[in-house]
Amino acid sequence: MSPQLVSQLSVGGSTLVLLAGLMMLWRRGVNAHIGAFTAQSVALAATTAMVGWFTGDWQLWAVAVLLLLVKAVGIPILLKRMARRFGTERELEPYVNTATSLLLGGLLVLLAYVVTGPLVSVSQLPTRTGMPLAMGLVFVSLLVIISRKKALTQVLGFLMLENGIALLAVLGTHGIPIIVEIGVFLDVALGFMVMQVFVYQIHETFESIDVEQLNRLRE
Amino acid sequence: MVSGYAAGAAAALVFGTGALARWASALGAIVGAAAGVALAAGAWVWGAAFVLEAPGLLGPAGGMAFSLDGLGAVFLGLTSLIAAPSALYGAGYSRTWDGRPALRQVGFMLNVFLLTMSLVPLADGALTFLLFWEGMSLSSYFLVLTEADGPDVVEAGQWYLAMTQIGLACLLGAFLLIQSGGPGSFASLRAAAAELPAGTRDAVFALALVGFGGKAGLIPLHVWLPRAHPAAPSHVSALMSGAMIKMGVYGLLRVGLDVLGGGPAWWGALVIGLGALSAVLGILYALTEDDIKRLLAYSSVENIGVIMLGVGAAFLFKSLGMPQAGALALAAALFHAVNHAAFKGLLFLGAGAVLHATGTRDMNHLGGLIRGMPWTAALFLVGSVAIAGLPPLNGFVSEWLLFQSLLPGIGVPSPLVAVLMVLALGMLALTAGLAAACFVKAFGITFLAIPRSPEALAAHEAAWSMRVGMVALAGACLALSVGASVILPLLSAVAVPLVGPAAPAPVFNVGVTLRTPEGFARMSPLLVAAGLGLVVLATWLAVRLFGSRRPLRVGETWGCGRVVQTPRMEYTSTAFAEPLRRIFAAFYRPSEDVSIDFHPESRYFVQSISYRSAIEPWFERYLYAPVIARVRLWSERVLALQSGSVHAYLTYLVAVLVLLLGWLAVTGRR
Amino acid sequence: MSVWLLAPLQASVALLLAPGLIGAIRWMKARLQNRRGSPVWQPYLELRKLFAKEVVVSSNASWLFHAAPFIVFGSTVTVTLLVPLLAVPLPFAGAGDLLVVVYLLLLGTFFLALAGLDPGSPFGGMGASREMTVAALAEPTMALAIFALAWGAGSTDLGQIASRILTIPSEALAPGHVLAFAAIFLVTLAETGRLPVDNPGTHLELTMIHEAMVLEYSGRYLALIEWAASLKLLVFFTLLANLFVPWGVAAALTPGALLWSVLTLALKLLALGGAVAVVETHIAKLRLFRVPELLSASFILALLAVTASFLLR
Repeated sequence: MSPQLVSQLSVGGSTLVLLAGLMMLWRRGVNAHIGAFTAQSVALAATTAMVGWFTGDWQLWAVAVLLLLVKAVGIPILLKRMARRFGTERELEPYVNTATSLLLGGLLVLLAYVVTGPLVSVSQLPTRTGMPLAMGLVFVSLLVIISRKKALTQVLGFLMLENGIALLAVLGTHGIPIIVEIGVFLDVALGFMVMQVFVYQIHETFESIDVEQLNRLRE
Repeated sequence: MVSGYAAGAAAALVFGTGALARWASALGAIVGAAAGVALAAGAWVWGAAFVLEAPGLLGPAGGMAFSLDGLGAVFLGLTSLIAAPSALYGAGYSRTWDGRPALRQVGFMLNVFLLTMSLVPLADGALTFLLFWEGMSLSSYFLVLTEADGPDVVEAGQWYLAMTQIGLACLLGAFLLIQSGGPGSFASLRAAAAELPAGTRDAVFALALVGFGGKAGLIPLHVWLPRAHPAAPSHVSALMSGAMIKMGVYGLLRVGLDVLGGGPAWWGALVIGLGALSAVLGILYALTEDDIKRLLAYSSVENIGVIMLGVGAAFLFKSLGMPQAGALALAAALFHAVNHAAFKGLLFLGAGAVLHATGTRDMNHLGGLIRGMPWTAALFLVGSVAIAGLPPLNGFVSEWLLFQSLLPGIGVPSPLVAVLMVLALGMLALTAGLAAACFVKAFGITFLAIPRSPEALAAHEAAWSMRVGMVALAGACLALSVGASVILPLLSAVAVPLVGPAAPAPVFNVGVTLRTPEGFARMSPLLVAAGLGLVVLATWLAVRLFGSRRPLRVGETWGCGRVVQTPRMEYTSTAFAEPLRRIFAAFYRPSEDVSIDFHPESRYFVQSISYRSAIEPWFERYLYAPVIARVRLWSERVLALQSGSVHAYLTYLVAVLVLLLGWLAVTGRR
Repeated sequence: MSVWLLAPLQASVALLLAPGLIGAIRWMKARLQNRRGSPVWQPYLELRKLFAKEVVVSSNASWLFHAAPFIVFGSTVTVTLLVPLLAVPLPFAGAGDLLVVVYLLLLGTFFLALAGLDPGSPFGGMGASREMTVAALAEPTMALAIFALAWGAGSTDLGQIASRILTIPSEALAPGHVLAFAAIFLVTLAETGRLPVDNPGTHLELTMIHEAMVLEYSGRYLALIEWAASLKLLVFFTLLANLFVPWGVAAALTPGALLWSVLTLALKLLALGGAVAVVETHIAKLRLFRVPELLSASFILALLAVTASFLLR
């Protein structure tokens, strides 16, 4: 596998991951969001597998399989269960409208390109070409967390953020030691369970998962 | 040239207020303009240098000096190009002031304005430059105030005067910073600038940008443009929009590239940013305007933004050591400046004809003018197609060039520059699309369909002098497009020495095709125009020969089977811009006010509905209003000094005199 | 065969294929929706009928109304002379590049919008206003997508962009290329008035964009405008096909190569037409004020295409 091909595939994989993230800004509806997250995790797993094939590192293959099982299968099942329970309410207008969020997303990708410029020029790895896009995903998921009102969407934004960081690690340093990777997964899983409890509590208190309602706690 | 304009001015004063005065002053202006064109062509095309030292004039202050180089020749040629048609147009247009003293004022001030404006690119020294710059501003101020009895005119004049004086102060500051004391000629300024520390150079550039940008109408210093241009008589608006704001571009190029010799990359980036912002915001404001002259004024803001985009790119490429790309960008910007003069002049003259015929500028009261004013309509259409940047006219050629000139910027190693170029490209494309939409509205609502008011119904065609002036400019639009491959090598010859000493000239085929350097792109405006014309003709012939022989039938507008069509049913100018107003609502923040008068008997019947909508004036409210409020506050405090008592004033005089004498005595000077 | 003969040949092929393309899309949509549908050659019959019919013109219309169909048709036919339809050494390679193509099409839209305003009908005004809005918002995407392609090929010249992929086949799957393809596909849907931006088969005036502008036209004028609209779709499809998947385009001007080129073009057009038919059957029309969202999404795709193109240099 030649370095040029790896470069192209890294950019291709990162683009798919980023596009799935941008889908979160574009589509409304919790089911579309969960579908975008699933697609993103699959793309991430595929990219990790590709890098694993290139470097011949079995740990990356293990990471890819783990990603697939946990993030593309396990978490979406849990999310769908939550969506069935809480997601059946009407659409909530986000703080920033769709067209503007998409444009902001584009600007953030450009910002990511500027920010990772020094990194890309220093690195020697053929996978460095996808790094700006991974950084862009990090920024875009932060935008999702800030600008959306439903708690479920914010949880998804957080999960996407984690995806972005994982992609950055894979492309930038060809992965991190598997022990650390498993630790991170455990963190994410626990965090997700805590968030589940929170969303349940919010729904119990306010009969909706509109995070703006939390303002009422002041009274 | 000077004598031509001077004769025109004198004629205006001498011949009273009749047709003779009108024609004499116009003739003087035309002669002057012709001489200007000859001078510019001589300097530009054949390299005939023109230098004139007049140390005698204003001797104690350093004397005046004039010289004409390539850059100045471009702007002189630009001014003279639209001066002649506008003056001819004015001869017929000024008939509204026959028998009133305003006629004298218009004729006199017009010639003075043209004279001072033509002498600005000729100036070869700070003093000469500023003298004629101020003369240009003042004479145009008086021209703006021609119809001082209109409600907004005085306010427009106030804004205009304030902005020009602030600009003058900035320019004075800039020149003083370079070289305080000593001869003010540009040569000595250049030498002095070469030894300035970087911080001072930045300050000079910033002051020059504020001063010249304010004259050009760059955001956020554009607020005077939409007020002053509509208030002035139409041929004056044409000159102001076509030539005067370009003097701002000239000044920035002269001080920035010539005297200061370029600077760090942030200069270019700043100008590109402001240019892109002006372009998009200008056209967005233009889209929601119902007053046709305000729409054209905002469109000028947009076009200045586009020109500044090219200028900024030139600065940037020069600082990055890419002289070829910089020369291309600068040539594109200069070409757009010339093109804009031609088509904006044409559009303002057309709007003036409409105003003259119907007495209103509000597009919601116009319509159907294509029947009563066929010549004006056709010429306005030519101007609209040109300004929308559509082939085969000149607006498209300069926009194509600008696009091509921004491309090399993406390949620059610095990611910030690449990102800036990508954003600038996107905004340029958006501007082009929105400009097309804006001018469909401007031409369509004003000239097409059914007249919306009795004045529009009764409109008559413009006088022949007005028409000839407009035809001349329309011809210029076509000539500039088709002859682009002849004009552009000359422009690049002007651009190259400004951007880099050792740059080979961008290759423009003197022939039919335009070729950018490194063979990146080719285009032939002549072939495109010819091809388009041939194909349309062939289609028409084919339909004529092979089509059905059945005659045309004229009937009522179908409109889905409605029985009757009244002007009230047509789309209005406000309605046309409605989708864009909604889409960009975050920018416009429109406030809507709908008031309904119900029938006294029943709420199911409506007597009248009135709809009022206003857009948020961002710059006036958040930038200028606080400044004006602060100035008012200080003025009121100073007012305390003006007690009105004679004794107080005498005391002030004596006190200052005593202080001065004391100071002289103490410092021991004679 | 001389290069100069290629130009009228290209125009004729385009003119002949365009109504058939529309007919094919309609037929495929019908079959997907479980209907029989009209035959593929129906648009030809419609054109023949329209050319023979009487022209009724509004009493409010001016000379612009009469001139606009010719200008629209003429500009679209001029564009067919500039795109790499049949062969890659283009006859007028020095005359126009991709930017000229886009702006010539905008010229047609400009005059069509004016013609919509001319009779004074509110539906015409509505169509004109909406059409110019959509066209204006699609411009940035088109510009950025053009530059993504031009950057890779080293020129905005159409022949050069097409030949680059012929010489380096792996470029066809480069991420920048694929993204640019997606962006231009969305712009095609917007500019040619297909779902989800505009329903070409609607009868409800308030849902029309393109159709509303031509409501007052009849007879041969309407025939010219309909033909020009189908030509515009063909041009966009040709750009999508021959700039991104240029195999089959003739390199030499021999009759065999040209025939092969026509066949492969027809196949690619059918494939793209099938994609459009599937999209149109699958998606409902968007509200006008949701269209900017779609166009923003296509802008982001084009932006990513540009960044991907110069990330991989």
